[in-house]
Amino acid sequence: MNTATSSLKHESALTIQCRVVYALILREVKSRYGRRTLGFLWALLEPLLFISLFIGIFHLMGRDSQSGIATPLFFVTGFSPFFMFRDIYPQVSACAKGNISLLMFPQVSRTDVLLATVILTSLISLAVLGVLLLACYSVGYEFQIQRPLELLGSLGLLIALGTGLGLVIGALTIRYEFISSIAGAFLGRPLFITSGLFFTADVIPAKAREYILYNPILHCIESIRSAMFASFESRYVDLPYVIYFALILNAFGLMLLGVFDRQRR
Amino acid sequence: MISLDHVSKSYRVGYKQHSVLDDISFTFPRLKSVGILGANGAGKSTLIKIIGGAEKPDTGRVIRTSKLSWPMGYSGGFQGDLTGRENARFVARIYGADFHQVEQSTTEFSELGKYFDQPLSTYSAGMKSRFAMAVSYALDFEYYLVDEALETGDARLKEKFRQVFKERRQTSSVILVSHNENTIRRNCDVAAVLTNGKLHYFEDLDEAFVMYRNILFSETAA
Repeated sequence: MNTATSSLKHESALTIQCRVVYALILREVKSRYGRRTLGFLWALLEPLLFISLFIGIFHLMGRDSQSGIATPLFFVTGFSPFFMFRDIYPQVSACAKGNISLLMFPQVSRTDVLLATVILTSLISLAVLGVLLLACYSVGYEFQIQRPLELLGSLGLLIALGTGLGLVIGALTIRYEFISSIAGAFLGRPLFITSGLFFTADVIPAKAREYILYNPILHCIESIRSAMFASFESRYVDLPYVIYFALILNAFGLMLLGVFDRQRR
Repeated sequence: MISLDHVSKSYRVGYKQHSVLDDISFTFPRLKSVGILGANGAGKSTLIKIIGGAEKPDTGRVIRTSKLSWPMGYSGGFQGDLTGRENARFVARIYGADFHQVEQSTTEFSELGKYFDQPLSTYSAGMKSRFAMAVSYALDFEYYLVDEALETGDARLKEKFRQVFKERRQTSSVILVSHNENTIRRNCDVAAVLTNGKLHYFEDLDEAFVMYRNILFSETAA
């Protein structure tokens, strides 16, 4: 064995995986935001645009508060978490289906790349949410987070839902290429409309509510608002439903990936 | 240890399943340079990718308990938007090596000068391969995977790599795939022939060449 110059140590698989994921995150941050100082501002811009637009519309309609929540806070707690979900699933799907050139390094596995993507995308989205909430707070829309754990849990569930959906779409796309375009066309808009970004479950007619409550993202957003604001308490949140949904989605996605992974060319 | 345990891999070609690696079990010897000879299309690159973990076998597993390089000469895993220095750091990080040392050694060996702090996408093909080589030499691997990469670049560069390669053969193991007898003769101690999904191992290079020539000859005759 070469001991004189060897700078490479033998380590446990977990140590290696943590180090690889950390290295991947740093690399991704550098290549996404490294040379563009406006990078993070760009991530803030999209939710900001949507939120401003909806505040404008609702202001013109003469409604300055939604179910007891100040309008800006209402939209921030709707759009920002939803965008986190919407950013995660295509990224995960791309990692799951693609021929990642990074895999040429023996200790980099697809799981590492998936983990790094989920962690980084979530952290950026959470930072955006934090900045937007602080901005609201600083211009006078004060609030006090009621149940921090429930808030974190609901955000975590959104991450899990995004990851699971991404895995399912990505794995299916390895075998059936049309799946990703179908998913793009049939998921984005319906989810945008039914996830409670600009309404609460309470204002929906009972007949329609029955169906709309099958959307787990709506539960997450209702739960986030209930956990944050003293003035709002949703009667429809069913977190165990969301947990099962996320678990099944992830298990199904991983199973499909296991099946189709060996079929890729 | 780097070892293949009942590794099989097949691809679908049209409606037929074409077997590239057929139940191969093999342990690569320590401190020896193993040359793998194969005709074009015999599955050499597939084998290298499976050993290096870029592809998964259909069945069986690859045991990697030694520090193994990526297939040398491949630069696809580097990020074009990042500079040479940043890419070198990334590689040092995933291998848990001291990245100042890796950076320094890479700068010296690659002779990239100020280009070391420019994005990789601005490099010429020659510079890119010089960079990739330099990073892999900066890390002390126990096993080097080589996919005929020693044959790229200009004459001076080739000579430089041959020199370092010779040095490394004293302290590390090498797994080199090639369709070229001369490459194997120059760089390897033992050889294996990959044909019809099987790996035939020879302690003696000349015996391997005899088998390899027979395969090439029967293919051209057929």
